Amino acid sequence: MNVSRRAFLSRGSLGVALAGAAAAVPGLGAVFKLPAPPSAAPPLPATAEPLVAHVRDLASGEVSLMVGTDHVVLRDTSLAARLYGAALAPQSKER
Amino acid sequence: MSSHREAPAIAKDPVADSTDLYAFVSPDAPDTATLIANYIPLEGPDAGPNFFEFGDDVLYAIYIDNDGDAQPDVTYRFQFTTQIKNPNTFLYNTGPISAINSPNWNRPQFYSVTRVANGAETVLGDHLACPPCNVGPRSTPSYAALALSAIHDLAGSHGKVFAGQRQEGFYVDLGSIFDLGALRPFQNLHLIPLPVMAGVNGTKHLNVHSIALQVPIADLTRDGSSAFSGTVDTKAVIGVWTAAYRRKAIIRGEGDDVESGPWIQVSRLGNPLFNEVIVPMSRKDRWNELPPISDSQFLQYVQHPELAKLLPVLYPGVFPNLAAATGSRDDLVAILLTGIPSGIISGFQNFTGKTLADMLRLNMAIAPSSSPSILGVIGGDAAGFPNGRRVADDVVTIELRAVAGVTYPLVNPGFTPDGAAGLIYDVEDPATNTPPVSYLNSFPYLNHPESGFDIPS
Repeated sequence: MNVSRRAFLSRGSLGVALAGAAAAVPGLGAVFKLPAPPSAAPPLPATAEPLVAHVRDLASGEVSLMVGTDHVVLRDTSLAARLYGAALAPQSKER
Repeated sequence: MSSHREAPAIAKDPVADSTDLYAFVSPDAPDTATLIANYIPLEGPDAGPNFFEFGDDVLYAIYIDNDGDAQPDVTYRFQFTTQIKNPNTFLYNTGPISAINSPNWNRPQFYSVTRVANGAETVLGDHLACPPCNVGPRSTPSYAALALSAIHDLAGSHGKVFAGQRQEGFYVDLGSIFDLGALRPFQNLHLIPLPVMAGVNGTKHLNVHSIALQVPIADLTRDGSSAFSGTVDTKAVIGVWTAAYRRKAIIRGEGDDVESGPWIQVSRLGNPLFNEVIVPMSRKDRWNELPPISDSQFLQYVQHPELAKLLPVLYPGVFPNLAAATGSRDDLVAILLTGIPSGIISGFQNFTGKTLADMLRLNMAIAPSSSPSILGVIGGDAAGFPNGRRVADDVVTIELRAVAGVTYPLVNPGFTPDGAAGLIYDVEDPATNTPPVSYLNSFPYLNHPESGFDIPS
């Protein structure tokens, strides 16, 4: 998955924008000592609106997910760490 | 100003900045009420080539509470879309715009109107055309006819709507009032005195963008009826406010911006000057994010308004009774947060209950006045502010006088207002009952905008 850094309006925390659904990023599991992602992912829609993920707090794993006019707040340290790591990974940087 | 640039954050986002709200029984159609929400402050008429327009990325709303709980019972939502007809020109128009559907208007704007009531959403109009801005005699000839052609009937006999540029109807001596509370006609008495001079209408020759509705009164009441048992009928009273929203997340760049997440309130307006003058600067942005039902947390600022403490300081010796008054200003609480109960002013009430909420309260059982006073209720005219608000009402003078103490005896008979409290004004002496702005006699009441050609900045 092509994850890029984009400007994301946030208030004093890291914002990460994802186009499409989140996916595993190679190498991050080793960095953050994460468990392997589940092998059976839920089915995804054929077309989807942009999804915005906002890692509000890495330590608690608080992640805001916004799609359409919906807003879901998760507490998932694994997901937060993978997103954060993907944003910091050299191969993901967009100049 | 009424609510123009009244808080630090929204001052940087004019497209979503609510400036004025009006609600009144239509004088020429008294079975209807007119609701007008203005946005985009201080429009210079000659602000081309990108003239003003509503935000396609903003959700605008007008809310009506008809049962006194400060929650919306009827909502009107407005969403705009802008087209570009010729992508290869920088011009707003490529020739005279002689009709609202003229191909010469290169950037027409359209909107939808959705009514929400009893949990049901009904689209009352879609792809409704706004008029262009008033550019000048070559680009927008016959502007009045052009603009009036942008009044649209709403589906299902739900009234009519207009959304577009209007002449600023709110008047205030802006340059003076925020120069340490100076009132030019009385500034010889100011702590830093200057010679007396006539007031100045600081918003003269400026425009604004209006969203105006004229809807059957029965569409706004809790039981769908417009038959009231006199002015004491509680179901005749509605609370009105407007709000604007932006999406929670905006990602800029890469072509079109990406917006996602729920709509987040960024601007709110009920009574004129509430957030501007009552709420302290550190809490103004937060106030704009909150619904009216949260307003109890701002009660202290109404009970003990900063302006009432400032007036005796800025005008030494002029307001001795006000300076000595230390009690809660329950008159202002009634005017701004609950409405005025029956028994306070003979023949008048616009009480919505004990819920504290900044809403513009309109008693629709009170017929339009045949001889309106721009001082509204304090001028003996129960059809004007703070019973709703008409376009010509001198809300700055009314609120200045109220804060200075003229309404305090309504709840504190032992208080005697200072002589100056009933005399102060900022633009023109309201004793003339002549507002410094002209208006239309029919919907949308606010006058046609100033033309950029005629009023260069």
